[in-house]
This record gives sequence, structure tokens and C-alpha cells, in this order.
Amino acid sequence: MGEYKLLLRHSHDPAYATLDGYQRLGGYEGLRKALSMDRQQVIDEVKTSGLRGRGGAGFPAWIKWNGLPKQKTKPHYLICNADEGEPGTFKDKQLMETCPFLVVEGMTIAAYATQADVGYIYIRGEFVDAARSMRRAIDEAYRAGLLGKNILGAGMDFELHIHTGAGSYECGEESALMSSLMGERGMPRLKFPHAPLPTISGLWDSPTLINNVETYACAPFILSNGGAWYASIGASTKNSRGTKIFSVSGHVRKPGNYEVEFGTPLMELLELAGGMKGGALKACVPGGSSVPILDAEACQKAIIGYEEMMEVGSMVGSGGCMFLNEHTDIVEFIWRTSMFYKDESCGKCTPCREGTRWMFLILDRIKAGQGRPEDLQLLEDVCRQIDGRSFCGLGDAAAWPVAGALKVFRHEFEHYVRHGRSLVARG
Amino acid sequence: MSQSPDTPNLRFSAKAVAELESLKTHYPNLKACILPALWIAQREYGGHLPPEAIAEVAHRLKRSPAEVQGVATFYSMYNTGHKPGRHMIEVCTCLTCSVCGAWDVAAYLEQKLGIKMGETTPDGMFTLHGVECLNACDRAPLIQVGDEYHGPMDEQKIDALLERLRNEPESKVVALADALVQVHLKEEEREKARRAAEAVRN
Repeated sequence: MGEYKLLLRHSHDPAYATLDGYQRLGGYEGLRKALSMDRQQVIDEVKTSGLRGRGGAGFPAWIKWNGLPKQKTKPHYLICNADEGEPGTFKDKQLMETCPFLVVEGMTIAAYATQADVGYIYIRGEFVDAARSMRRAIDEAYRAGLLGKNILGAGMDFELHIHTGAGSYECGEESALMSSLMGERGMPRLKFPHAPLPTISGLWDSPTLINNVETYACAPFILSNGGAWYASIGASTKNSRGTKIFSVSGHVRKPGNYEVEFGTPLMELLELAGGMKGGALKACVPGGSSVPILDAEACQKAIIGYEEMMEVGSMVGSGGCMFLNEHTDIVEFIWRTSMFYKDESCGKCTPCREGTRWMFLILDRIKAGQGRPEDLQLLEDVCRQIDGRSFCGLGDAAAWPVAGALKVFRHEFEHYVRHGRSLVARG
Repeated sequence: MSQSPDTPNLRFSAKAVAELESLKTHYPNLKACILPALWIAQREYGGHLPPEAIAEVAHRLKRSPAEVQGVATFYSMYNTGHKPGRHMIEVCTCLTCSVCGAWDVAAYLEQKLGIKMGETTPDGMFTLHGVECLNACDRAPLIQVGDEYHGPMDEQKIDALLERLRNEPESKVVALADALVQVHLKEEEREKARRAAEAVRN
């Protein structure tokens, strides 16, 4: 099926990051169209499109958009989650650097649909280039009357600010991001059903819409071409529509971002990225560090789609796709994964704070050749006790890759425990 | 002059004060300004957030120093610990980088600079840090120096980069903090801060 460039179609063209170039290539048609419709029609268009959140969870976007009160009693806020931190993912970075106006226009469309007054783009602190690119775009949009008061003369007001993070993976979790935006430690907040949804009570207890960069960037196309048109892309899958950008890295010849239609076989991504480097395919982590690892056989069967990936035991996630060659020590790879979650756990809840540390300690002694026969069982127990029991998704995300690898590559762990060293000869 | 604990020594420049005033208009309350204000402070205090910097941010935002300290220490990019060197070299050793040679890059840098991860060279030039995913895995193995990403790295490129950085008088740690302050500000707000700085100079 090859690449299907929708969002990234003009990403190679520096002019696309300027307002002139962007408008010449069809930019702001979506917003113009949206402003000619009533708010509910815009939301219905997003519903028809079948767009699902691109940050990792795949939640239907329109339900969030529709969830803000129609009768406004408080300010409404909009947040763009640009705290891209999932290991293996770098699509939001490229979108912001090369297509900043897609994000600005997408957010403005969403602001119109949800009656939002103020928006914030929460960009991780390390992404200076992306933040600078967004800054230039926002400044230009203000100058041209596409942000601020009375946008396009249609009586709509929308202020858009940049807020940068300062080094915390946890802030990519939406409730932790809101804590951080309000000037707190980036810890998660109580969630539905124990607390109202952010769409009712989010930032400063006001209705808040929060979506990923890529999700907002889809909105201009959905509005300008129609939701039905968008839904025709990826229609071969059960319930995934449109395109998805995958950040392909690892042992491949041409690492980079590749945008494909849902329904594309996973192996085509590998082909697009120039094929394997340094040895045959051994494993793939298709959707960022949080998703379970696939062996080569499962990769052959995997189709890109939210439900389709689950059928082979993994997930689309954020689209951080890492291909690993035959010389990769899976135990070491999972050890490094567990180190990440141990470092990034915010410390709020016991299952995650203690569990991620214990997973790391056990994997660390296995890797050092000091593994005990009962360690694999113990690891599985710890995974089970974190999964579903942590305060936010970080705990689940820490448990899945370990539990997944123990299932798929158990023999490598057993070899380490039995012989005190890796099964894999370094290539 | 004796100093009450509530009025710390204030070191923000006129430019910084103007920047903070603009930032306050972006949020409905002062508490939300803590993160961006810490970036301003990190620049104003030379890449470091000593207790005096925390106290100044707290004072200017009418929060308690304990609250600001609590926020600052949560985030890895605020340098609340020891003062970093002029340039901070952050080596990504996360997933993709680790399978693409990051350990070799880290070891080479440690050997070249004669320090371990987390340490600063005796001349105060470089601080070395291992970091988690910087999310530019297409350029693995990757390192970050202030507002710059570099990758894929090899020994030659490391040599060239270190050479350039040694001759770079401006601190990359400060450059990063300033870059992040600037992206928060609208065009006219940056202009206002520039004029405030100029007024002091004249």
C-alpha cells in the first residue's frame, strides 16, 4: 500500500512552515469551512471521520469534542499535548517543526467547536526547535488575524499560548500535564468515574479539551475534505480511520517518520524504512516503549489498526516503531525499558513507584548473571500487581513490555538465569 | 542591610521582570507561572537554581519558597542540585539509542572528559548526564547540548563538537533556558522586554 502522505505531504517543503506557503497549499480552508458551519456540525464531521486520539489510547476524538458543555458558564480551555516522550516516538516533533500551521489551524477549529477561549500547547522542554517553529507560526497567525480577536471576521476569539515542560515523561499523561500546566509537580489527578472528566472539569476546574498534536493536525483535512472522505481512508480495518504517522527507528537503513493508511501491513513500514540493517529481523516494538514486543513471526501477520494490532498481541500506541535485528539482546532491551519507567515513575502511587523499581532490580541482577530460578515468576507477579492497580497509565505501560517479552522471548530470559549470560552473540 | 526572609535579594534583570509580567497575562493565576518563571530564573542565575533563585521566584509570584522548591525538584531540566558546568552534555541511552551505540558514545565521552555521568569537569566546562529518550530516535545515538540536538554521533563528531564547545563563551545551559523563555512570549511581549532592557542600559 506504501506511504499515504496526508499530514506529512508537504513536510519536506520549508514554505509549508510559513503562513503564505501553508495557505497556498490549501491551509486554512478547513477553518474557513468550519466557521461557515454551526459548532455541532463541526463535531459531527469529526464523528463521521472516525478520528481516534493519536497520543496512544485511540479514544474517539469526537466524544471529547462533544463533551464540553454547550451552554457556557465558565471559560473553556484547549490543550495540545505536545509532551512527546514515549521512547521511540518522534512524529509530533516533526509535525511541529515542519507543519506547525496544521497544529494551529487544527486547534483553532477545535476551539470553535468547543467554544474555547484560551489554548495552550504543552511542549516538552527538550524540543527547542519544535517550540521555535510553533512560536513563529503562532506569531504569524496573530499578525494575520487568524488568532486573537474576531478571527477571520467571524466573531470568534481565541488566544493561543505555548507552555514548555521541564523534563518529565509523566507530564504526557493528560491529568499530570494539567497539574504541570497549573504550576504543580507533574503528578496525575483523580480520574473518571471518581472525578469529573476534563471536558467538564479540567484546567482550573473549567471544561477542557485535550488532544495530541497529530490528532489536532488531522482536523483541517477532515473539515476541508469532509468526514466521510477521511473515513474512507483505512476503511479495510475494523475501526481505525485515516492515516497514522509511525516513527520508525532501530536497526533500519532509513529511520524516519512514515505516514501510512490504517490497514497497511506492519512489514511495509520496515520496507519503507529501507529494510533491516546488520542482521535479520528479530523483534519489533510497534507503538512506543509501552506496548508489548512482537517476534518476527507476529510482525509478518501484523496489520496496522487499533484492533488489528491487538489481535497479534500488541498496540498501535503512539506509533514509535522500533525494529530490532537478530543480534539484539532482548533481556538487555527490556532491562533498559524497565530502567526508563523506574526513572520516570512520578512516585505518587505505591504499585508504580515500588513496582517499577523492583522490576528493574530483578532485571538488573538477571542481566548481571545473578538471576535466580524464581525470578521470572517473580517478575510476572510484579507485572500483575502493577497492571490495572496504578493511579495512572504509567504503571500499566511499565508492566506491559516486561510481561509481553516474558511471554514471547521467555527462552532468552531462562538462558540468562540458567547460564548467567546472554543467549545472543553480539553482532 | 538586614534581610527579612520574605524579601530575598532580587536579581532578575529589567528584561526578566518585563518577561514575567507578560507571562502573568497568559494564565488566570500566578501559580501557573511557576514553571516558566523557573526558566527565567535558571537563565538569570547562570544556568542554576540555587535557593536564592527559588526564593526570588516565590517572592515574585507570591508563593512560598517550599512550594516552588517542590515544583522545581520534580523536573529534571531545572538544575536545583549542584551548579552545572558551562555546557551540559546529555547523552540519550534510552531504547533506540541503546541499540544503536549509545553506550559507546557515553563511554567515549566519559573517557575524553575524564568524568563519569553526573559529574562536572574540574575546569567547570562540561557536565555529563545520561538522559531518557530525547525523541529524535531517527538520529540515534543522540546527544543534546543546551538548545541543540546532535546525532547520529560517532567519535569524530564528538571530538569536533567538544572542540567547538570549548571555544563557545556563552553557556549552553543558559542558552537553553533563554530559548524556552522566548518561545513563551508573543512578538510584542518580546519587544516589550527588549525595550525594558534598553531603558536600563541608557
